Amino acid sequence: MTSTVTRAGAATAPPRRRAHRVRWRGPLVAWLFLAPALLLFLYFKFIPMFVGLWKSLFKVRTFLGDEWVGLDNYRTIITDDVFAAAIWHSVVLALGTTIGSLVLGLGLALLIEGPARYLWFVRTAAFLPVVTTMAAVAEVWRIMFHPADNGMLNVIIGWAGVDPQPWLASEHSSLWSIMLMSVWRGTPYDMMIFLAGLVGVDRTLYEAAAVDGASTWRRLRHITLPALRPVFWILFTLAAIRGLRVFVEVYVLTNGGPNNSSEVLMTLIYKLGFQKNELGVASAGGIVLFLATLVLTVIVQLMRRRQAA
Amino acid sequence: MSRRLLGVAVAAALAATVTGCGSGGSSSTDDTLEIWIRQPPDSDSAKTAQKLADAFTTSSGVKTKVVALFDDFETKLNQQAAQRQLPDIVINDTAQLGNMHSQGWLQEVDKAALAGSGDLADRAWQAAAGSDGKFYAAPFSAQAFALIVRKDWREKVGMEPPATWEDLTKLAVAFTEKDPDGNGRKDTSGFVAPAGTKRGYASWYASSLIYANGADFLKPNGPGKYVATANDPRFVEAVQYLQDQFCRTKTVNPGAVSNDTTVTHEVFEKGQGGIYLVGPYVLARFVKSVGTDKIEVLPVPKGPSGGPGTLGEGENVYLMAGSQLQDAQKKFAEFAISAEGQRIGMNKDANGAIVRLPVNRTVDMAAERQDPRWKVFQESYDFAVYAPPVPNWAPIRQTSADAINTVWADCSADVKTAMEGLNTKLTQELQSQKAS
Repeated sequence: MTSTVTRAGAATAPPRRRAHRVRWRGPLVAWLFLAPALLLFLYFKFIPMFVGLWKSLFKVRTFLGDEWVGLDNYRTIITDDVFAAAIWHSVVLALGTTIGSLVLGLGLALLIEGPARYLWFVRTAAFLPVVTTMAAVAEVWRIMFHPADNGMLNVIIGWAGVDPQPWLASEHSSLWSIMLMSVWRGTPYDMMIFLAGLVGVDRTLYEAAAVDGASTWRRLRHITLPALRPVFWILFTLAAIRGLRVFVEVYVLTNGGPNNSSEVLMTLIYKLGFQKNELGVASAGGIVLFLATLVLTVIVQLMRRRQAA
Repeated sequence: MSRRLLGVAVAAALAATVTGCGSGGSSSTDDTLEIWIRQPPDSDSAKTAQKLADAFTTSSGVKTKVVALFDDFETKLNQQAAQRQLPDIVINDTAQLGNMHSQGWLQEVDKAALAGSGDLADRAWQAAAGSDGKFYAAPFSAQAFALIVRKDWREKVGMEPPATWEDLTKLAVAFTEKDPDGNGRKDTSGFVAPAGTKRGYASWYASSLIYANGADFLKPNGPGKYVATANDPRFVEAVQYLQDQFCRTKTVNPGAVSNDTTVTHEVFEKGQGGIYLVGPYVLARFVKSVGTDKIEVLPVPKGPSGGPGTLGEGENVYLMAGSQLQDAQKKFAEFAISAEGQRIGMNKDANGAIVRLPVNRTVDMAAERQDPRWKVFQESYDFAVYAPPVPNWAPIRQTSADAINTVWADCSADVKTAMEGLNTKLTQELQSQKAS
C-alpha cells in the first residue's frame, strides 16, 4: 500500500527531495506525539526548576519584588546545623528504607512467584499499600504508633513481652519509626518489580542446576540474583531518589521533631519556605537537594556501567 | 543534526505557546469583594463567615465571595501574591501581621477615617499595629488563653481548682495516677499539649506560662527596637516547669511532643487527658463533644516569680494590597468591627464563633452568650499579652518552638543552657529584621 503512494509521488517529486521528506517524517511524528507531554513537563517541571534556581539568588518578596542577595542564601543554608542534620537524616532514612524494602521485596517476590491461581489475590493484597495515598497511610500509622500502653503497636509487641515504646515521641526512635512505615509501604512496590524481573529468568537454567544437584540457596545465588542485577540497579536508583525526597510521611507523623530528630531535607525546606517565609533560602535548599539527587544518580549509573563492562 | 534542529524547533514552539499562556494573568476587574478566612472549608466557622459576608452585602450592596481555607493558608496567600492577585480581604491571626506586612501585602489603615474605630478596645488596636507604629488592619476578634479542665475528673479526685503552679502540678498528677475516668486502667494524663513544632505550636503553648510568670520573649529597647529575653530566669523557670511535667512527673499526654492542635483536640475529646491550656475557640466544640457538665474553664494561675499573664491573640481584618475595590474593603472593615458585625461573628453560644471575644466595647458579651465559661476568657483578656509588633513574628515563634520542643523531648537537656542558645538565635533574628 505504501509503495503505491511512494510510486505516485515519485512521478512528480525529484528523488533528493523525496528522500529528504522521508527522513524528516519519522522524527516529526515522534516529536508531535511527544508534544503534549513535553508541554506539560515544560510548564509544570522545567520552568519551575529554573525559576527555583533563579529565586535561590534573591531574598524573595512575592509582592514587593525580589532583592538580589547572590549566594547568601546558599551560605545561610549550608552553615545551618539543622541543615547538616537534615542531610544526615535524609541519607539514613533513604538507605534504611531502600535496603529494607529491597530485601523484604525480594523475599516476598521469591515467596509468591509462580503461576498458581490463588497468587493473584496474594499479590493484589500485598500491593495495596502502594496504591494507598501516603497521607492516609501516615495518618493510620500515626494512630498505630500511639506511644501509650494501649497503642496498637505497643499492644502487639506487648504479646512478645516487650515494653511499650515511645515510637515517634522520642528523639531516639522517631526516625526509625518513620523508616519502619516507609519500608512497609515500599516493599510491595519493589516486590512487583522483582516479580517482573523473575519472569525473565531462563527456566532451563534452574532445571540444569537441579540436574547438577545444586541446593536452593546455590540456585538463588548463582542464577536468580545475577539475572536480577538490572532490576536491582533500577530499584536502587528509584528507591534512593524516593528516599531522599521523602516528605509527606515525616510531615504528617512528626513534622521533623521531636528535637529535630527526624528533620529531613524536604521538611526543612518546607519550613523555611512556608513557615518562616524565607522562600529564597528554601529555593537554595531545593537546588542543593536536586544536586545531591543528580550526583547520586550519576554515581549509581557509573557503577552500573562499570559492572556491566 | 537535522533531527536535533527539529527537536529544538519543537521545544521553542512549545515554550512560545507556554509563555503565551503564562502571560495571560491579570487582576480580576469584577466588583465582587473576595474574602479569605483561615477556617476549615464547610466548618461551622466558615458558615459564620458566610453569614457575616451576607449581612454585609445586605447592608452595603457590595457582592462578596467567601473563601475558607485552613491548611497552608499563608502558602496559598504567597501563591496569590506571586501572581499579584491577592484577595481583597483576609481575616487571619494577629500574629501574622508582621509576616504579611514585611511582604508588602497589606494596606495601611487610617484609624481616624474608619467609622466606629473609637468603639474598639485599645488593646485590640495594639494588635493591629506594625513595627513602625502605623495600623495595618482592623481588629476583629480577641482571645485570651485559659485552662479547659475536666470538671468531673477534678471532683472525682477531690481537688479544688488550682490557684498556684504547684496546685496545677498536683491536679495533673492526680489526673494521671488516680484513674479519674474510673475505667480501672492507668490510661489518662494530666495535661494535653500541642507540643510539636508545626506553625510554632510548642512556643504558642508555652507562652501563656511564660507570660503568667512575668517573662516575655522580647522586651522593647527604643522605638521599633527589641532585645531578646529568652534567658531571663522567669522565662527559664516557665519552660523548666513544663519540662518537669513532661519528664519528672510525666503528666503530659504521650506523644505530645509530636502533636499539633488538631490531634490534641482529639486527645482531649477522647478523655486521654484532663487539662488543656487553649483559647476559647474550642469551648463550644468541647461542650458539645465531651458534655457541658464535664467541662469547666479556669484561669491560668500566676507563676511563682511574676504574673498574672496569659497569651492574648485574635484575628484582624486585613485590607490587602493591589485591590481594585478599596472603598468596599473599607466598608467591610467598618461592618466587621461594628456591633452588628461582631454579634454575627460571635455566633452566640454555638460552635463556629469567628469573633471569640468582641473587640467592640459597645457589645455586651453576657447578653449574647449565656454560657458563663466565656466570662473566664474575657476576664483573662485583661492581663493577656500580645506578640510584640516586630517586623516579622513568624520566625521568632518558629525558632523558639524548635528550642522549647527540644528540651521537652530530651529529658536530659538543660533548660537554662538551651534558653541561652535560643536567646542568641532570637538576637540574630532581630538583627536580620533590623529590629535590635
